[in-house]
Amino acid sequence: MSPELPVLILGFIIGFYMAWNIGANDVANSMASAVGAKAITLRQAVLIAGILNIVGAVFIGAHVTDTIRKGIVSPEFLNDPHLALIGALAALLSAALWVSFATWKSLPVSTTHSIVGAMVGFGLMAGGFSVVNWGGLFAIVLSWAIFPLFSLAISFFTFKLIVRLILTRSESFERAVTFSPFFIGTAVFVCALSFLLKPPFGNTIAMTTPAALGLSLIFAVAFGFAGKHAIIKRMRSKSSQDAEGIFRHIQIGTSCYVALAQGANNVANAIGPLAVIYFLFKTGTVGATVPVPVFLLLFGGAGIACGIVMGGARVIKTVGEKITTLTNTRGFAVDFSAATTVLVASKMGLPVSTTHAAIGGVMGVGLAGGLEAVNSRIVFQMMLYCVLTLPVAALTCMAIYKILALFI
Amino acid sequence: MRIPFSSLFITSPFEDLQEHAEKVKECSWAFQQAMECYASSRCETFEEHRQEVSRFENEADVIKRRIRGHLPKGVMMPVEKFQLFRYLKEQDSVLDSVKAATNWLSFRPDAGIPQYAEKDFFLLIDAVIEPIEELTVMLSEARIYFKNFSEKQRRKVKEIITNLRQMEHEADKREYSLIKNIFKYEKDPISVMHLVRLAQTIGNIADHAENTADMMRAMLAK
Repeated sequence: MSPELPVLILGFIIGFYMAWNIGANDVANSMASAVGAKAITLRQAVLIAGILNIVGAVFIGAHVTDTIRKGIVSPEFLNDPHLALIGALAALLSAALWVSFATWKSLPVSTTHSIVGAMVGFGLMAGGFSVVNWGGLFAIVLSWAIFPLFSLAISFFTFKLIVRLILTRSESFERAVTFSPFFIGTAVFVCALSFLLKPPFGNTIAMTTPAALGLSLIFAVAFGFAGKHAIIKRMRSKSSQDAEGIFRHIQIGTSCYVALAQGANNVANAIGPLAVIYFLFKTGTVGATVPVPVFLLLFGGAGIACGIVMGGARVIKTVGEKITTLTNTRGFAVDFSAATTVLVASKMGLPVSTTHAAIGGVMGVGLAGGLEAVNSRIVFQMMLYCVLTLPVAALTCMAIYKILALFI
Repeated sequence: MRIPFSSLFITSPFEDLQEHAEKVKECSWAFQQAMECYASSRCETFEEHRQEVSRFENEADVIKRRIRGHLPKGVMMPVEKFQLFRYLKEQDSVLDSVKAATNWLSFRPDAGIPQYAEKDFFLLIDAVIEPIEELTVMLSEARIYFKNFSEKQRRKVKEIITNLRQMEHEADKREYSLIKNIFKYEKDPISVMHLVRLAQTIGNIADHAENTADMMRAMLAK
């Protein structure tokens, strides 16, 4: 029997495990705020995150997967398809190991960073220094520094805007209603835009950028005002009328937004190397370029959804109980900035850590004085593990490759 | 679990500040009982009340140290860290004065409060207990402000602060009239010394309560 089929099967299993891990751990970073602020129930969070992670993975996710696949390691230059196959499997295995270890030891490690590190190791072993796209890798690493800051800036200004426009005013409830279409619309706008301009969906309808902008704007306005009416309808029965209540409803929307962005960005972590294995298995060569098949994205999305249902719920609950100072307005600012950051990054084909984006968002609100106590020192710890993850995952991948090469 | 997101959030110092303020309030009630006991002719439980004041003061000290010791570098709060410490220091000084006054009484356990001074004495006690009770209200209202940033809420806290200043002014007036009466009626020099210093120490309680309010005003500044 040729070794390709067992490798493919093993690849699917580990890929699923990675996706499961993302679902169980990473999803909590963004869904917990909505659950903690009681915008949605735990059950709703699991449902929203599960479904929308799959949607995000399938419709927006392809771009990042391509980058992980081709941006770091160029399959066109791989010398030997057989060795490349082993290398890709080693990459998946090492990333999965490192993530499992981190989960066990409670280390703040990003799945995104692990998979990128592992892919570098894969490239080095399968084709040598020349195969690794160092420029692309540099851009990715640079984005890890830039995007959390980007997220911080967005959430800082979003929260300041909420304070200035709504909270400080005496009729804050009415003003929250008035401005709700603006906040809902902005989120819808970014969402719609990333849908329309992204493969595979964007390719099928082949829309020009101005047309997509226009259509997104129409969507934004429509959803904004529809959202406002829905909120007014729902708030009428409520006795207590405050601005937080309005944002509680808006947060239902941003939770969807976050789940979508997460699916788009994170699916690549699970199926990036798997796509390489599948591609080698299917074509038998390393020359041709084929896009990531939709069913692989679906597979990754489903894996994430499984992780959310089986492990994520508990984690979301635990984190949600801890972050009670994140009220609805704060939660909105964090969700909005994190999701926007992740969508912008995945639009650029840069695999960022959704965790880092969410942390950037919290820091932004903290900087704006919105939280009772935020420990900003966690950033240094995060940076340390960010720097550590790349070489660790790469070296593990190389070691596993050597071992696998003996057997297969 | 590897959730750096949750380790971002540390226990809020405002939670502890609130607890500290509650201790100050409870302590002030124990103080009030001690005073009433002392003033009545047949008081046997004064020492117990004094112990209780001392115990509350100790407990509050523990909370104070916990707040000071558990705010890491680079913590982000709605107010500056050292503003919060200054506030805490004043709130704690209220307790120190309460304890000092109770202790001062215990040095002359059987002297009692002379008839002519009794009315002013009790008025003074009431005048210092009131602002202490108001401190917990002020703090919880301020916490609401730091949550909703509402201008209306900010005005509410500022009104409480103005009230507290007014209360301190009242306490000052009581202290003045008490000391005046002591010099007027008391002939025994030791009693004069004891009572005058007692009036001053009790007056200090209101002063520190007012300072606490002033520190809160500083934290509210935009």
